[in-house]
Amino acid sequence: MHITWLKLQNFRNHTEREVEWAPHLNVVTGPNGAGKTNLIDAIHYLCMSRSFVANSDRYVVHEDQSFFILKGLFHGSIRSEFEVTCSYSKGEGKKVFVNDSPLERLSDLIGRVPVVVLCPEDRKLTSEGPSERRSFIDAFISQINPPYLQDLIDYRKVRRQRNNLLQEFQYDRSTKEAYLEPWDQQLVDAGARIVAKRNQVIKQFQEYLHQQYDMITGLKHRTFLEYQTFCEPSSDPETIRDRYWDKLEEYREKELEREVTIVGPHRDEIVFYLDDKELRRYGSQGQHRLFALALKLAQLFYFTDELDDLPIFLLDDVFGDLDPHKIEVLLNALIDHAGQIFVTSANPIPFEEYVNFDGEKNRRWQIEEGVLERRD
Amino acid sequence: MQVTSEILERAIEQLTKLPGTGRKSAQRIAMHLLKQSDDYVFKLAQALIDLKESVDHCSICHNISDQNPCSICSSVKRHTGIICVVEDPKDVYTIEKTGEFNGRYHVLGGTISPLDNIGPDDIRIKELMDRVHDEEEEVNEIILALNPDSEGEATSYYINKLLKHHEIDVTRIAYGIPMGTELEYIDEATLSRAFSSRNSF
Ligand SMILES: [Zn+2]
Repeated sequence: MHITWLKLQNFRNHTEREVEWAPHLNVVTGPNGAGKTNLIDAIHYLCMSRSFVANSDRYVVHEDQSFFILKGLFHGSIRSEFEVTCSYSKGEGKKVFVNDSPLERLSDLIGRVPVVVLCPEDRKLTSEGPSERRSFIDAFISQINPPYLQDLIDYRKVRRQRNNLLQEFQYDRSTKEAYLEPWDQQLVDAGARIVAKRNQVIKQFQEYLHQQYDMITGLKHRTFLEYQTFCEPSSDPETIRDRYWDKLEEYREKELEREVTIVGPHRDEIVFYLDDKELRRYGSQGQHRLFALALKLAQLFYFTDELDDLPIFLLDDVFGDLDPHKIEVLLNALIDHAGQIFVTSANPIPFEEYVNFDGEKNRRWQIEEGVLERRD
Repeated sequence: MQVTSEILERAIEQLTKLPGTGRKSAQRIAMHLLKQSDDYVFKLAQALIDLKESVDHCSICHNISDQNPCSICSSVKRHTGIICVVEDPKDVYTIEKTGEFNGRYHVLGGTISPLDNIGPDDIRIKELMDRVHDEEEEVNEIILALNPDSEGEATSYYINKLLKHHEIDVTRIAYGIPMGTELEYIDEATLSRAFSSRNSF
């Protein structure tokens, strides 16, 4: 899958801009604050309906304006050409259109154009709390398995309903338990499928991760992802369902007392290990960075193997703090990837040693003081 | 903004309360009405008053109706033993259009949703159970035709549980229907297929 044309209106510092992208490698260089990241963030919006940098759509609108519009033209090897539009205004919120017809839900967009992002924020993935890693695995699986995303949406909704019921004080104990039952049922249904899927994907992903870490570092450290959930994990939803009911029973008192759903995949954790040491606690700065890099490269290759269409790979400002050897390894990996790639960098990267910018396959851009120009 | 007509302003305020009507649309409607003939506006106003004063609810199925019992509940051509449970009157209308169903309805008037403070007692589940226990109705099958969202599922589950120890077949319409789609948006062909392939709960 690749994007051939992008149009931005009032998207941060891009008041009005159109870009025609090359099908393989696109490199955008320019000083900090020139709008490099915003360009590829716009592409991310058209794939995932949200920013990979900002937490809220409000921050993305150009400062003097009340709305933004993004349009992109995509080509796939299986699916033919289609146009995605994403608009946001302070009054009406966010809307997504595919070939001008509105999507009922933003989540319907996800998976149409698979995307993998490598960016400085990735350090949160290895150093911060479990929710970062849950978001990562959820965005990961949702792109390759739409029913998983539906389960996540249902699960969140059911959990909110259930929490509300747990907080209700006007029912006596037995009434409350009778009223909880329909929600328990749905919590277990969706929750068990989520756990089984997470377990299955993490299991398959291990080897990809190990390979990439090995390739980047050349060191024989063994990477390992440990999936921790409320019971012994399994890839079979039926098995999880049984264990889920047992746990729910076990925690019944506690949930009624604390008035909140305790048992479920919303509290899952994925622990990263290098050999037998937990990365978050014992890893060096360098190991953190390389682990995150390996995770994203592994995700790229996993998607490539799993999906009919190649994912788009966005690399935001990641070359600056790598040593020459790592840069070489990463560049070689990029060139091997047949899909479309976007790279932003403050300083020029020695791409010309590896790829040819003379033809139509690859393009270099320079952005400075609001002007975007092709360098070749 | 300087308000030049309090009366106009009041009309706009009332129109804004209609579903899907923002302030701008309300202004447009109000200005449009001002330009129409007196006759038209009076007819519209009368229709609205009649809607509230004369439209009744059927005391059996709780559907909106001009007469009580409604034309479906009083029809001798409809099976009395089968009740199709729906969320609201627009679902009756949607299912009637398919022509697949020849029993009677029961309109719950909502689905269970703790977030909206709607519990089983706030919708017409008790009234449904009264019908089940009413020997004259001779209910032997209940079809649950609620939306496939989590609130609809919870409601179906709850009703099914209540009916467990009764000699009644509980079925639900099968959804060859995209997840998260509201019943009213489904085309008739799909809904009619879903009806004929309904399965046991
Ligand atoms: Zn009736």
